[in-house]
Amino acid sequence: MGDAANGVAERFAIGISFGNSCSSIARISPDGKAEVIANEEGDRQIPTVLSYIEGEEYHGTQAKSQLIRNSGNTVAYFRDYLGKDFKSIDPTPCHASAHPQQSDSTVAFSIRDSPSETPNSVTVSEITTRHLRRLKQSATDFLGKDVNAAVITVPTDFSDAQREALVAAAKNAGIDVLQLISEPVAAVMAYDARPEATVTDKLTVVADLGGTRSDVAVVACRGGIYTILATAHDYELGGASLDQVIIDHFAKEFQKKHQVDPRQDVRGLAKLKLEGEATRKALSLSTNSQLSIESLTNGIDFGSTVNRTRFELLSGKVFSQFTGLIEQAVQKANLDVLDIDEVIFSGGTSHTPKIAHLARNIFPEKTAILAPSTLTSAINPSELSARGAAFQASLVQEFDHEDIEQSIHPMVTVTPHLSKAIGVEFTSSTETTFQPLLNAETALPARRIAHYSAPKEGGDVLVRVCEGARNIKVTKPEPKPKEEKPADDEDSDFSDEDDEEEEIREIVWKTEQPVAELAVKGVKAGSKVEVMVHVNPDLGLQIAVREVGGSSAVRGAINGSA
Amino acid sequence: PSLPQGWSAEKDFKPVGGLSAATQRNIEPVGPYFLAHARRKRHNRTFSEDERL
Repeated sequence: MGDAANGVAERFAIGISFGNSCSSIARISPDGKAEVIANEEGDRQIPTVLSYIEGEEYHGTQAKSQLIRNSGNTVAYFRDYLGKDFKSIDPTPCHASAHPQQSDSTVAFSIRDSPSETPNSVTVSEITTRHLRRLKQSATDFLGKDVNAAVITVPTDFSDAQREALVAAAKNAGIDVLQLISEPVAAVMAYDARPEATVTDKLTVVADLGGTRSDVAVVACRGGIYTILATAHDYELGGASLDQVIIDHFAKEFQKKHQVDPRQDVRGLAKLKLEGEATRKALSLSTNSQLSIESLTNGIDFGSTVNRTRFELLSGKVFSQFTGLIEQAVQKANLDVLDIDEVIFSGGTSHTPKIAHLARNIFPEKTAILAPSTLTSAINPSELSARGAAFQASLVQEFDHEDIEQSIHPMVTVTPHLSKAIGVEFTSSTETTFQPLLNAETALPARRIAHYSAPKEGGDVLVRVCEGARNIKVTKPEPKPKEEKPADDEDSDFSDEDDEEEEIREIVWKTEQPVAELAVKGVKAGSKVEVMVHVNPDLGLQIAVREVGGSSAVRGAINGSA
Repeated sequence: PSLPQGWSAEKDFKPVGGLSAATQRNIEPVGPYFLAHARRKRHNRTFSEDERL
């Protein structure tokens, strides 16, 4: 792998995040940083909307504003219809724009996309092609090079048919899809690919809060390799649910004043939607926001303000749906919030400060909440997928298609994962402790090295490599009953956290099964012992132990069973 | 931990047990570490063989 494509025209690849509401394009800048490209209108989040007036095509923000006056010829929220059967789609998001219709086995829109008065039936694939063509054009204009390839992000639940339809639509737009990667993993990578990031073992929750849907995934990151443990989806929850709160709030206010409900009027509702969304977004940045609409209904202008506190009160129910989805995903992975090392907030709706604050309350203090309102160094949530895709694009740009296809084949990706953590057990005079070295859900083969302090007095050291399990210990808040178990070989508890008095739940490691014992003789006082464990895919192990700085190591191997 | 009295084993190594069964999961084909993994797997190389190249 890694050979440049022979005889093929030079490839120039970007990352594309293709969403129902918004799409983004990104590339890796010459100094190695991911950079989201703005289109000719200056938008980095380009609305996934196409609109036609007199045969002329409008795209992005311009098309989105056509939802008011030209909704019938405006196509929006079509990503999830791609490669799907008409019966299986939910047309709700398209009520205010061109309606999806059945066309043979696929979905189409009846729009006047030519100067003629008769509408054409345009399939969702063709719409996608046109949208991607515009994205490609924007990237090409910005970069001054013909962009002809891309890595595109898709949701984790995208079916094979949807993937194929997307690749075909992209091909028609002149984009060679090198690879489709899933959105949550792209978000994790956007963080991990930063030069300052270090590769660690961690459990990450990616909360992708979009416009019309929200997806949460639990990702195990082990030595830079990602495994999705569980996902949860809500196809009705998103920024639009929050927009509805704003719309209802202002509509009621308008109704009180003028005895007309602007929501009853199609155009009034469209205006409220567009401006309500802008108001909601403004509330993520400032504590006060205003809304003003000319001729909302019956020719009456409307202007009003709302503050963030009020909005957060009204949205309480919607917010709890978001946090509920996150908790659901953690539960699905058979994990506890204590296990989670970081929560990455992705998607436009993640700008909402209150959602990150609520997540802060769910997770323990050590969990990093990566959102703009909780962490100043957080990356813009709207840009994560596109940045991750750009990074992957830069990695596979040189590869042949055959190489990429072989690499993403299940032969390669289906890998045994450790079901239990492997670690080292320490026995002191008072207690036995277990420190994990390889965490559960680590993809095999894997190798880890760690240093442990030898007893102060030095001498001969015994290293016991064991399998361990994580338990949640619930302690009563009052006088803490200290576990005073004898240092039993098989069965002992230890808390690896400096627990505070008020803490009630904590992670406790329990040795489950010993694997091997090794002895290092004649260790100097105050020295450290290095333990290396290598696990093969067949569950065989190689273990080596030596004194740090020492020359000779004790090693041994255990044959795998599988 | 100090070596208990009377502990001995051939070459100071004593296997005691094996690992519990692994779970088969799908890893995400993304990132530089995955690409390195794929390269090793397709060419049947081990970590150290891969490093030598």
